[in-house]
Amino acid sequence: MVINVDIGYVNARLRGMKSRLLDRKEIEKLIARPDIDALIAGLEDTPYKEYIEKASLSYSGVQCIEEALRKNLAETYQLMLRMVEGENFEKYIKTLLAKWDIQNIKTILRGKNIHAPSDEILECLIPAGELDEVTLIELIRQPDVKDVIDLLATWNIDYSKPLTQKFKEYNEKRDLWILEFALDKYYYENALSIVTGNSYDAKIVRDMITTEIDVINIKTILQLVRDSIVIDDTENILIGGGKALNIDILAPLLRTRTTREAVRQLDKTPYSFLAEIPDEQLAAGKISVYERELDTYLIKKGIGAFHGDPLSIAIAVGYLWAKYKETTNIRIISRCKTAGILEDDLTEELIYV
Amino acid sequence: MSSLEIAMGAALAFGFGAIGTAWAQSRIGSAGAGAIAEKPELAGSIIILEALPETMVILGFVIAAMIILMVK
Repeated sequence: MVINVDIGYVNARLRGMKSRLLDRKEIEKLIARPDIDALIAGLEDTPYKEYIEKASLSYSGVQCIEEALRKNLAETYQLMLRMVEGENFEKYIKTLLAKWDIQNIKTILRGKNIHAPSDEILECLIPAGELDEVTLIELIRQPDVKDVIDLLATWNIDYSKPLTQKFKEYNEKRDLWILEFALDKYYYENALSIVTGNSYDAKIVRDMITTEIDVINIKTILQLVRDSIVIDDTENILIGGGKALNIDILAPLLRTRTTREAVRQLDKTPYSFLAEIPDEQLAAGKISVYERELDTYLIKKGIGAFHGDPLSIAIAVGYLWAKYKETTNIRIISRCKTAGILEDDLTEELIYV
Repeated sequence: MSSLEIAMGAALAFGFGAIGTAWAQSRIGSAGAGAIAEKPELAGSIIILEALPETMVILGFVIAAMIILMVK
C-alpha cells in the first residue's frame, strides 16, 4: 500500500480554502443588493476584496466583477497545481485543469474567427490550466486562426495536432465548430487514456470525465434536434467513452423530432431528470433549461466528491467544482443585477448544492 | 530474567511507542501545516493536536522504566 504523506497537507489546505467559499447565506446577501455597484461593495466584504480592488482600477460595473472572478479563479487553480506538484495524483489534477486550456484556445479561435480585438479576447480568458497568461497573450497576437494553430504547432503543444488535422476541413467549410469539436474530442480521449487503472483516485477522476462526456453529448444532440439538423455521421459530432451513454444509445436520439422526444428516450439513464422538467419551464424551442439542469447535475456530482476518501484526490475534485460553482453563481448574480432581473427569478437561476 | 532480556523488553516498549508517535506526528504535522497555511488562527489547536501522540511515547517510556526497575 502506497501512502503519500503530503496528501494530508494538500487536503487540509483545500478544506481550509473551501471553508472560505461563500455559503448560501452570503450568496443571499449578495442577491439582496439593489444594483451592480452595491454588489461590488458587497463583494469587498468577501475574500474577493483584493481582486475587486485591483479590477476596479481598470473596469467598472459587471466588467469589474468578471475581471475579479477570472483572476481569482485562475490564481486559485494555479495554486492548486503548485500544491499538488510531485504528488501521486498531480497528473489527474493537470488533466482536469487542462479543460481550461481547451476553453482558452477555443476562445482565441472564436475571437480570431470573427476578428475580435485582442484586448476583448484577453478579457474572456481564464489562464487556469498549463498555458499561462504570457503564452495566451502571444497566441492572441497572431493575426488569424491559421497562425494561432501554427504557433501551437511550433511550440509543440499537443492541442495543435487535432487542429492541424482538421484545419483543411475548417478552411473549406468555414465552420469553427469543426475545430472546436476536434479539440474537445482530443482532450477527452487524451484524458481517458491518462485516468486508467483501478486506483480510487483514477476512478473518481474517470467518473467525472466520463460524466462530462455524457453531458456534452446530450447538449450537442439537443442543439442539433432543436435546429432540425440531421447528421448520421456520429463520429464527427459525438465523443465516445461516456459514463452511462455510449454512441449506440445516443445515435437514435439524433433522429428524434423534438428535444422533448429526445430527453424522453433518456428515461432509463441517470439523465432521466431531464424528462421530468415541466412543459411550462420550456419556452418554445429553448434548450437552456435542459443545459442548466445538466450543468447543475455535473456540479453536484463534482462537489459530491468531497464526501469521498479524505486521503485521496476526492477533496481536490470536490474543491475544483465547488469553486467553479461559486464563480458561476456570482457571475449569474452580476449579470442579473445588470439586466434588472427580480430577486425571485435570479434565485431560480442559481446553482445550489 | 537476564539483563539482556530486560533491556530488550524496555527497548521494544520505548521504540515502538516512539515509532508510532513519529508516524502519527508526521501525518498530523503535514495536515496541520496545510490547515495553518489557510487559517493561521488554528495554530493553537494544531499544536495541541500535534502534541497528542506524544502520550504514546511517554507511555512507552513509562513501561520501559517499569520493566527496568521492577522486573527482576
